[in-house]
Amino acid sequence: MAVRSVARTTPYLEKVAVEARYNDVDPVYAETRDIRLFGFVLFLLADCVLFGAFVFAYLYLRTAAPTWPPVVDGKQLPRLDVAFGAMNSIVLFGSGVTMHFALESWKHLKKLAFNFWLVATILLGIGFLAGQAHEYMSAQMTWQGSTFGASFFTLTGLHGFHVFAGVCFLTVLGIQANRGVYTGSKYFGLVAGTLYWHFVDVIWVLLFFLFYLW
Amino acid sequence: MTAELLERLIACIGSLLVGGTASWQLRNELPLHGLDAQVTKLLLGLMIVGCVLALLASLNVLGAFA
Repeated sequence: MAVRSVARTTPYLEKVAVEARYNDVDPVYAETRDIRLFGFVLFLLADCVLFGAFVFAYLYLRTAAPTWPPVVDGKQLPRLDVAFGAMNSIVLFGSGVTMHFALESWKHLKKLAFNFWLVATILLGIGFLAGQAHEYMSAQMTWQGSTFGASFFTLTGLHGFHVFAGVCFLTVLGIQANRGVYTGSKYFGLVAGTLYWHFVDVIWVLLFFLFYLW
Repeated sequence: MTAELLERLIACIGSLLVGGTASWQLRNELPLHGLDAQVTKLLLGLMIVGCVLALLASLNVLGAFA
């Protein structure tokens, strides 16, 4: 009986707690939050267009080639290492999950958990970049040698740059969060960081399919 | 155990773990409203697709060219 009563009142208590948190919000922040969020989503869409241009260039080159990977100097280039690519992909996708946990921890005012998940995200991001560096060093093609190499290094390089920028972004967010820039009701930067990191993950889904699986 | 087998094993277990956790996170996001929640739902959904691709690749179902 008592358990049922608590279960019934818990959503109400949560609502009260959330409202209390939002009542002390800075009015300027409350007014501009949605506009800033919309602007950030537009930025992500613009980034989609950038990747889209390169992806369509790759599709054009690929469909125009008689064989894929193309033949260079009478020798067909080998395919990329699918097993390693899948493992590296999971490292990046795992970082998306940890970043989501970091944001949820912040929303629930658990600062220690937030720091733990944020550091895990940054480390996984660095791990992914290290995996990409290994892939570049072991690749049996060059940027100039073939259309396959050119498109692979350009697209994955552009993505790698985004991951690197994301790692820097998250590091700055972590420093700001620990210096008290964000509060329980004012944390737009953390939302933007999480959306950006998810976006980087999703771009990799497409690249992983195009270069490793197709 | 070869390096490739180890990579496939890590990818397989990792994709199940990450995909499962992302699905749980998506389930928690579903009742939420607002632009950030909607974009998060879309991106989490696509990330789950990525986990499925990685799982199939680790099991040699996709990308089996040899």
